[in-house]
Amino acid sequence: MELTLTETVARVEAATKTYGTGAGRVNALDGVTLGIPAGRFTAVMGPSGSGKSTLMHVMAGLDSVTGGRVFLGDTEITSMGDAELTLLRRRRIGFVFQSFNLVPTLDVRGNILLPFELDGRRPTREQNEWIDHLVDTLGLGGRLTHRPHELSGGQQQRAAIVRALATRPDLVFADEPTGNLDSRTGREVLGVLQEAARTFGQSIAMVTHDPVAASYADHIVFLADGRVAAERPQSSAEEISSFMLGMEARA
Amino acid sequence: MSRPFSAFRANARDHRAGILVAALSSAFGVALVGGVDVMAAFIGGSSMGERASVQLALGIVAGIFFVVAVYVGAIVTTNTFATVIAGRTRTIALLRLIGSSARAQRRSVAGEGLAVGLIGAAVGGAAAAALSLLAVRLLMMTGVLPEAQYPVLSVLMVPPAIIVVLTTWLASWVGSRRVLTVTPVQALGAAQERPAAAVRSRGRLAVSLALILSGAALLVLGLLLGTGAFVRVSATLAQLSSYGVLVALPGGILSFTGIVLAAPFFLPAVLRAVGLFFGRGAAGRLAAANAVRNPERSSRTAIGLVIGVTLITMFVVAASTWQALIRDAEAREPGMYEGADGIIGGTMAVFTVLVGFSAMIAACGVVNTLSLSVLQRGRELGLLRALGFTAGQVRRMVLAESAQLTVASVLTGLVLGTLYGWIGAQSLLGMIPGGGVLAPVLPWPFLAAIILGAALLAVVAALAPTRRATRVSPVAALAVE
Repeated sequence: MELTLTETVARVEAATKTYGTGAGRVNALDGVTLGIPAGRFTAVMGPSGSGKSTLMHVMAGLDSVTGGRVFLGDTEITSMGDAELTLLRRRRIGFVFQSFNLVPTLDVRGNILLPFELDGRRPTREQNEWIDHLVDTLGLGGRLTHRPHELSGGQQQRAAIVRALATRPDLVFADEPTGNLDSRTGREVLGVLQEAARTFGQSIAMVTHDPVAASYADHIVFLADGRVAAERPQSSAEEISSFMLGMEARA
Repeated sequence: MSRPFSAFRANARDHRAGILVAALSSAFGVALVGGVDVMAAFIGGSSMGERASVQLALGIVAGIFFVVAVYVGAIVTTNTFATVIAGRTRTIALLRLIGSSARAQRRSVAGEGLAVGLIGAAVGGAAAAALSLLAVRLLMMTGVLPEAQYPVLSVLMVPPAIIVVLTTWLASWVGSRRVLTVTPVQALGAAQERPAAAVRSRGRLAVSLALILSGAALLVLGLLLGTGAFVRVSATLAQLSSYGVLVALPGGILSFTGIVLAAPFFLPAVLRAVGLFFGRGAAGRLAAANAVRNPERSSRTAIGLVIGVTLITMFVVAASTWQALIRDAEAREPGMYEGADGIIGGTMAVFTVLVGFSAMIAACGVVNTLSLSVLQRGRELGLLRALGFTAGQVRRMVLAESAQLTVASVLTGLVLGTLYGWIGAQSLLGMIPGGGVLAPVLPWPFLAAIILGAALLAVVAALAPTRRATRVSPVAALAVE
């Protein structure tokens, strides 16, 4: 499969990932070639077991591929060791998870500044202004000294988004970021991610199985059985649903 | 009886530390009984009456050390069970969801406690009995003990083992209190960690303050008697002055009990203060936060060690102060205190070893609590790894956590022990010729040994958890439970 011509911030080439051996062997990724476009909000969609989470793990340097190559920007990360990958995650990647996003012993400010602290540096004045701006935009102004357990699910998720955006990473990975939220709060969080891509040109890759969540993305990649089944520009939730139903029918 | 053991078998991994502590306590008790019997036979000789009175006196001393060890062991076991329960919240919630009652759940945990006590006490007791037999045989062969029939094994070895079984059972009951607060809903939601419910009740504070204040009043009175402050006031009071230590002793017991009870109120502050010394980096700061994330658990972990270090320090300081006094006197009037130096040194050594056993049990508690709490933090460690914590930073964080706990406990113990030791020496010896106001003596070799021991404990306690913590894959944080 040909890579799209737009600039990519991360890509995988013929990536395979297998778990187990013999009869228990599972091909989580079965030769995926894919680019995440820079400065845009991409959704990676697929049913359970399609390999979308595994794809995110290998692209984010959390897991290694069995075969193929993985790039972040121009850096090949395929065979990087743990220490190198750790630094890469710290400096160039942001994360928003479905749940358990925040360190329970730190308040919101501590959680947001954690990536800087891990690097043993303080945010510059410019970065501080950026963080203040994010905190204001996401309405966390009065919550900076609160601990995670004192926040609602939506507030926790917004704090995680501020943390992910604070270092202006090359790419933010969001793993089912609305999975644990009610639909109104979920829409809010998706709006924030969409804004981050549109206004600040932040590249975001979101893994989801929810057509409504995917409808907020600029670009949608469909995965099935460890392969890319299709790519689509921004679509409505209805279009995405019917496309996925069609995929099921063909399978 | 089969039910506790089946629950125990299912969770055997959780209970290794509990069994070890029960075994150590039981072994200590059995060895003390054996030691007292042999010593009584050795000192009392063939006279039955004399043998009985020596046995009684030694028995009382040994009993005190056994009680201290059992108490420290019970604290450690309570903590172990509380930590184990915290890790089982999900499972308990699921069982509650299916229809099990909270009481039944708690009974099942206490049943495991009984099994832990029975196994530990039996293993430890049997080992100690065998070792005592072997030791007596060896001592006779090397000629330290004269050839004779020594009553090494006796029925009196059974009560210590039973006491250990009962206290372990009780400790598991107290430690499983949290089971009652687990709700079935916790099995469904993505349970966020909530701060531990406050054990810092007002009643507890009031009781501990009352104990500390009344104890302190007695200590001050004992001190004043001991320094002869009343001599000029009245002749009757001056006569009482030689009884200073008898006033100070209950004061010490009362105030120290108060301090142990008050641990959850002041130890977190000590931990926090010590945490400030571990750097402002992410690893140090997170470690500092972790050490007080569950104040109840860290206080209990620390207090065992505080008790051990306080008692050792107290004996060492009191004996060293006494020794210094006698050496002064000896220098002035040679011959008057001949041999006293050696006796004091020997007594101090024996007491230190006996108390050291409790400190060892407390150290087991530190190792275990740290291991369990790191084990239960898999997802959090995964999150940190995903966000860019290197394996080295994780290692440093766990080590800092362990060091913080150890340093805070040892410092507190040193301060308290020096204070109590000095009060003891002052109230006992202030009025003897050459007494007056004594300066507490804290011997350097002892201080060095304590610091070395603390450093060693901090490293050893961090070994297993760091190995485990650095093996956590960042993917663990992303897994949806």
